[in-house]
Amino acid sequence: MTTTTAAPTTGVPVIGAGVTRVDGPLKVTGAVPYADDLAPRDALVGVLVGATITSGRVELVDTTDALAAPGVVAVLSHHDAPRVVRPDEASSDERAPLPPFQDAVVRFRGDYVAMVVAQTREEALHAADLLHVTYDVDEPVVDINDPRADREDDDPAGADSVRGDLERGLAEAEVEVGADYVTGDNTNNPIGLFAASAEWDGDALHMWATTQWPFNVADCLAEAWGIPREDVRVECPYLGGGFGSGLRPWPYIHAAAMAAKVVDRPVRVVLSRPQMFTGVGHRPETVQRVRLGARRDGTLTAVEHTATIPVAVDDDNPENVVSGTRQGYAVEHLRADVDQVRLHISPPGSMRAPGEAQGNFALETALDELAVELGIDPVELRLRNEAVTNPDQDDLPWSSKALDECLRRGAELIGWDERDPSPRATREGDQLIGYGMAAVSFFYFQEPCTVRVVVRRDGSAAVHCAAMDIGTGTYTIVTQVAAERLGLEVGDVEVVLGDSSLPASPPAGGSGLATAISNAVALATSAVLADLQLSGAPGREALARAVGDRDKVTAEATADKPDPAELGMSPSGAFGAKFAKVRVDADLGLVRVERLVSVIDCGQVLNERTARSQVVGGTVGGIGHALLEHTVTDLHAGPQTGRITNAHLADYLMAVNADVPDLEVEFVGGPDRLNPVGVKGVGEVGLCGVAAAIGNAVFNATGRRIRRLPITPDLLL
Amino acid sequence: MRPFTYTRVDDVATASAAVTTDAVARAVQGPGDTAFIAGGTTQLDLMRDGVWSPDALVDISRLPLNDVELDDGVLVVGASVTMADLARHPEVVRCAVLRDSLLLAASPQLRTMATIGGNVLQRTRCRYYRDPTVTQCNKREPGSGCAAVEGTARTHAVLGVDAGCIALHASDLAVALVALDAQVRLHGPGGRRTIPVTDLHVRADDDPSRDNVLGVGELITHLEIPVPDARSGYLKVRDRASYEFALTSAAVVARVEDGVLAHVGIGLGGVGSVPWRARRAEEVLRGQRASMALFEEAAAAELADAFTVTGTDFKPELARRTLVRQLRDVTEVTA
Amino acid sequence: MSGVPVTVTVNDESRSVEVDPRRSLLDMLRETLGLTGTQKGCDQGACGACTVHVDGRRVLSCLTLAAQVDGREVTTVEGIGSADALHPVQQAFLDCDAFQCGACTAGQVMSAAALLEEDGWETAEDVRELMSGNLCRCGAYPRIVDAVLAARAVREA
Repeated sequence: MTTTTAAPTTGVPVIGAGVTRVDGPLKVTGAVPYADDLAPRDALVGVLVGATITSGRVELVDTTDALAAPGVVAVLSHHDAPRVVRPDEASSDERAPLPPFQDAVVRFRGDYVAMVVAQTREEALHAADLLHVTYDVDEPVVDINDPRADREDDDPAGADSVRGDLERGLAEAEVEVGADYVTGDNTNNPIGLFAASAEWDGDALHMWATTQWPFNVADCLAEAWGIPREDVRVECPYLGGGFGSGLRPWPYIHAAAMAAKVVDRPVRVVLSRPQMFTGVGHRPETVQRVRLGARRDGTLTAVEHTATIPVAVDDDNPENVVSGTRQGYAVEHLRADVDQVRLHISPPGSMRAPGEAQGNFALETALDELAVELGIDPVELRLRNEAVTNPDQDDLPWSSKALDECLRRGAELIGWDERDPSPRATREGDQLIGYGMAAVSFFYFQEPCTVRVVVRRDGSAAVHCAAMDIGTGTYTIVTQVAAERLGLEVGDVEVVLGDSSLPASPPAGGSGLATAISNAVALATSAVLADLQLSGAPGREALARAVGDRDKVTAEATADKPDPAELGMSPSGAFGAKFAKVRVDADLGLVRVERLVSVIDCGQVLNERTARSQVVGGTVGGIGHALLEHTVTDLHAGPQTGRITNAHLADYLMAVNADVPDLEVEFVGGPDRLNPVGVKGVGEVGLCGVAAAIGNAVFNATGRRIRRLPITPDLLL
Repeated sequence: MRPFTYTRVDDVATASAAVTTDAVARAVQGPGDTAFIAGGTTQLDLMRDGVWSPDALVDISRLPLNDVELDDGVLVVGASVTMADLARHPEVVRCAVLRDSLLLAASPQLRTMATIGGNVLQRTRCRYYRDPTVTQCNKREPGSGCAAVEGTARTHAVLGVDAGCIALHASDLAVALVALDAQVRLHGPGGRRTIPVTDLHVRADDDPSRDNVLGVGELITHLEIPVPDARSGYLKVRDRASYEFALTSAAVVARVEDGVLAHVGIGLGGVGSVPWRARRAEEVLRGQRASMALFEEAAAAELADAFTVTGTDFKPELARRTLVRQLRDVTEVTA
Repeated sequence: MSGVPVTVTVNDESRSVEVDPRRSLLDMLRETLGLTGTQKGCDQGACGACTVHVDGRRVLSCLTLAAQVDGREVTTVEGIGSADALHPVQQAFLDCDAFQCGACTAGQVMSAAALLEEDGWETAEDVRELMSGNLCRCGAYPRIVDAVLAARAVREA
């Protein structure tokens, strides 16, 4: 690892500019290779079969009829599937999801009990219908409020925090508000169905699998099979959306590897849409309580935020619902606490701003309730309690923070001054009109990232990293940073990502990749320039001259996780303010978003086009979170208990084009002080705060406070 | 999906005979094992869900039933006409209830594929019906019970249902058709017949296992839609702004003369096990002086006997409000 | 199971294949013909990712049996333009950054290309409604609307 310090930017200013996505032509022409498109063409087709009970044990998977069906090559089940070790996630000691077929236990409805391998998909699907699976059925626990559920209250999410003395803070309060908030379960539902293909060459495994983190998948497969890491290669140059669901090495990936081992041929697996609801994580529902104490002037004296979220049997998902509350506002007395209850549900995982999406709704709705109670403007209330240092990190100064600017600019853009603060005061025909807002203090996340920069004999360059571009624009920003620092045209930089055989990367998640990878690129370009005895941004000719007779000159560098104490500042995530204008049909309860303004502080904007698209996209996700999305599980329906009732894209409602107005996005603030490129992640701040802003606008429009997501017409009748 | 044979036919008689003969050969009593396929938008989805497994499909998508003709004030529409094509017909463009029930349904792609005949025969969206791992379903297995009644039932029916089945008929077009007094022409082994659309479907509280009255080998050849001498409109209420089935909908055809409702036809969607003809509401309204109070009374009468379960208890109120709103907007009587 | 012979013109090229009657047009394109540009998003007729043109009109290839397109003309995203010669809609999607992950893009592009040939629409509001059969989970909708309007402007110029 190199310790070179990255030089300040001096090259052609392509950073920040709206460079067109470098992978765009591939995507608009259909030439983009997703995991399944790369599968060996002679691969057999595997179809996974899920349990039709919610809890219990598989007695027998009777394969007689299935094996006799046309085209069928093999059936795997716990009776005979290869045994593998359950790995740990690369980033932590958390357990990776259980590999399938390792025991007879059914932990949730849809838990894989078998896989049919056949010549074609049609044949495999037909044979799957011919499997006869018998079960020993246990009574499942699937309701988060079920007292029988095991409750873990010893900080299972690493989220709990106590500051000062909550009771004292409440005693000092002149006004107190408190309420319960409920957010429904959501499913990531990327449009691309997840796929995995596996091919063994002796004991070496090559996979093409949908993932947001190829490096981790390869690590986990090596551990599972007990084979050298260098004998595992996982490729995923592109994926059709992830939103967190591709962060873990899910069972279907293991299943493809097992099947290929058993039949000694390449096998490919594509999940069905219903399997995308149970097989690749989901945003867990929450039950939350927020209590706020304040003085008459709006100064917060106490904040209590507690949450209960479900977790699957034999799984970990440390989802921090209170991170935004802990660092959001300057309050001396705080208690934040997250408990988990174990349910017979499919393993929850990260989904677009995990924890923060749900927690922000509760906190920012409660603040709106407090503002109403105090008769203080909601924007003013937030400004009054601004955390100028990070109260959650020893009151260290932030590495950058422009939340106040976000709030003021957002208010200006939406015309906040024209809003009538009294509820149900503005009406046009059948439509009630309301405005609402929310603030976001997104958590900081960075993990080490290594990149290799190659300068070729002709002066062009390549950048290699195992990291993923999940559609956010990683290929493009890496190209830009390398081009700028080397003084090259964008077209002279080739970026190769999505391959576990390349230098180690963190996940494309937690809004952490852009910071990690852009700074690693900055370091690696500095290193290669030092090797070439060049400085500044020398440009293609100088690079070619310096490479001379060599084929290429290569350097690797790692951007490490910063140490706040050493730096004397608190690393900042993005900040944002969201302002919504909604129309609510007074009789029919229909809520339509008319305007949504996002003002974001994400440090240095690397690419205005792709950054804006991320915020626009997050906002669309936020509209769905607020008004539409809800994965519904049968709670008390006899044999159906634990079954997801809407695992179909006609029934799980995500926003469509007609739900979305022209969204307004502005970036404020400047480069972050923490890193040479000055960037902060923008992947998730777009979604956060949208639900609260819309809910608060619905209150302003109707006078009805809905403390539950999604906010549907039936709640407003 | 089970293997099946596929045959394409070019004329109605052959189509009917293909299914009938095959059905007789297999000694099948009802439709199911051999079936027609046209646009396929309902059927393929059902086959993938594994709740419908035909042995043979007879493709009727190329039958010469593609014309739309105006015959003495009646639109005669071939069953193979797609929703998209029908919506473009000048007579339909002028008839708001028909046009909007077509254009607010599904998506542009689905409307390009789905035929009029198939649309009115579409199967319920009930996710309990559509999941073969759900064992209690009187529609699939008569006598097995209804899982939806104890389950999650937000998108289910509240009229024409009982605890035996609460499956919803989700067509938008059919709701407009019942409001317009439309009829269907059928062709089957026993010959031809014409019946009102209101007699085409079977209510769940009559027999959940039957969706409609078609016999084996019988198919829709045409729709007869009287072009109304009245104002009309279709209001569809749904969570998302497009590409979703109705939570509730109201098709209203009304003519007000001197303040009095001289003609009124009403269909309700999102609430019935069949496209719901709101006869009680019509009765309250017909010949009376139009007023908001009267609209409220009519809507209340229609929903008075709604059967609700947890999850559908909001529907009667939403349906009432939907109907009142649409009566107001079509008649332009606001007081 | 005997296959069904299908002769179909795909992207201006006549293809004769024998398909499993169960095979969808989508799987025929992707599996039988190796045209992987068209994506499978749900196989339920509920997302629009698999949109292609049959006889010039936009349909869902996942809910169409391959056998049913015998004698028809099918156009996929591979058939309307290439990286060297983009269709105006493809160019507009690129210019407007009307996508992120790309999984819905082939369907969006085909839907938009068909929309340009359809009548009865004018405004951004119309485009929102008429592009609502194509889900975009990355949430590029406002930019998709921009792209459709931009492509129309180019066409009319």
